[in-house]
Amino acid sequence: MIYLPIAEMPVAVLLILLVSGAVGFVSGMVGVGGGFIMTPALIFMGVPAPVAVATGASQIAATSFSGIMTQTRRKSVDWRMGLLLSIGGVVGSACGVALFERLLRLGQLDLIVSVLYLILLSGVGFLMVRESYHFWRGKPAKSVSILRRPLKTIVHNLPFRLRFPRSGLYISVLPPLGIGFAIGALSAIMGIGGGFILIPAMIYLLRMPTNVVIGTSQFQVLVIASLIVVLQSIATQTVDLVLAGLLMVGGVVGAQIGARVGAGLKAEYVRGILGALLMAASLKFLFDLVVPPEEAYVLGAGMW
Amino acid sequence: MKRVLTALAFVMLAGAPASAQQQPGADVADDLPAGVAEEQITVSSTYGGSFITVFGVNPDRRGRGDIVVVLRGPNEPATVLQKRRVFGLWVNDDPVRFSEAPAFFAVLSNRPLRDIASPESIWRYQLDPAASARLASAIPAGGDPSAYRAALVRLRREQGLYQWYARGPQGGVRGGLTAYQGGLFRAVVRLPANAPIAQYHADTYLFRDGRLISRQRIPIMISRVGVERTIHDLATNMSWLYGIVTVLLALLAGWGASVLFRRP
Repeated sequence: MIYLPIAEMPVAVLLILLVSGAVGFVSGMVGVGGGFIMTPALIFMGVPAPVAVATGASQIAATSFSGIMTQTRRKSVDWRMGLLLSIGGVVGSACGVALFERLLRLGQLDLIVSVLYLILLSGVGFLMVRESYHFWRGKPAKSVSILRRPLKTIVHNLPFRLRFPRSGLYISVLPPLGIGFAIGALSAIMGIGGGFILIPAMIYLLRMPTNVVIGTSQFQVLVIASLIVVLQSIATQTVDLVLAGLLMVGGVVGAQIGARVGAGLKAEYVRGILGALLMAASLKFLFDLVVPPEEAYVLGAGMW
Repeated sequence: MKRVLTALAFVMLAGAPASAQQQPGADVADDLPAGVAEEQITVSSTYGGSFITVFGVNPDRRGRGDIVVVLRGPNEPATVLQKRRVFGLWVNDDPVRFSEAPAFFAVLSNRPLRDIASPESIWRYQLDPAASARLASAIPAGGDPSAYRAALVRLRREQGLYQWYARGPQGGVRGGLTAYQGGLFRAVVRLPANAPIAQYHADTYLFRDGRLISRQRIPIMISRVGVERTIHDLATNMSWLYGIVTVLLALLAGWGASVLFRRP
């Protein structure tokens, strides 16, 4: 047992290491950040939601930095695109932290976080399961087949165009800025890296080649997660350094082992299983939101 | 126990120290001989809660009357929300604010409090956490102020922050008030790990025939030490530096893992 100085509660060290290791393992195996599993896991373990969200960001920074080191060696980071996404993300996360603080004062943070998780977990879980199902049936999902077609979308007609040599694109700077903003705001409120939304957005909206997508998204996630840690430290003082340290150790070690194991498995099946898990987890959020509560009153954020 | 008895002997010889703070009922003598075994409690990284022992002696020669011990945490603002159904979802609605409510409250006696003190005394001397909770905002239309007050007490009780003991330690319960021969008494309170880290007060009361005869107030300091203190001070006083340190730690962990696990 170790006492957390900011959460003001004792936790079992081994349990936290095991959970963060397991989350890191899954994320390394599937290739997603894992923040969207880690934060709810911490909340279920009794860590106050504000501390879980703010502290989770530091673990995301650690995991994404570890990923970037690998991706840079393979030259699969589009720095120019990453920078644009990050600029949008910086503004987005600043707004997100301000909204987070406001919701915290109103006592509505837990509710908003629950609803957003319900939507995201069930949505992403469904997409993963569907993709896996199509693969299993032997016909790739429709969207994958149009992946590299030089199709013109609204993205290609907007002004302020810029060349992105590494992605082989010539598009407006507005969509990357907008996507970065949305991911930044979501990250701040939910304690997620946002990679699992950012990657599909880069592929389907910006039509970036898949080989640079992961490295570039990790770059944006690192910038945003680091910024959120600093902003939350200043605005809400809910970052717990001791908890963060435990999560980082468990998370990065788990992710490296997961990546090894994942290399020997069919990614589509792994994603299908993860998708099913996410949908099951979202049921828990749904249950808490619709079932009449036993206790009609809740304590607000007097303490936080 | 030896320490407790030595301190107790000291209290009995030296008489009671002066009360630190005025409370309602200035006509009552502040001369109840009492002491606290742990006047300083330190929170380190292995902290998992603690026990506080209040001891003393009934000044009545014939041992008449009842002793009541109250351990109070700091008064802090609190908010209670009621859950309401909106579009099929249960949402937190109608926040009701308390400008102050005790963050921790434990009351100990060796028989039920209502048999010792009158309801007026319980309210006047704040022997119940609800009596110290001050409403600061209007109650929503159709709401009942006492329901919010009761909800605050109930929720804090479930968290172990409000405690009631009406007898001595029994079975697996270590907390409680025990009266010994010759008017000696000893009260033990379990302070859970989630209780706030702040200054507490142990208040001891002597009631006879429902009336307060004598009392005593002793401060107890709960404070962080070592790493816990450094981290907390940094997080509150230099929050930007704290944030940057956390990020650097994250980068170090990420870099370390990538070097350690680099494929040959």
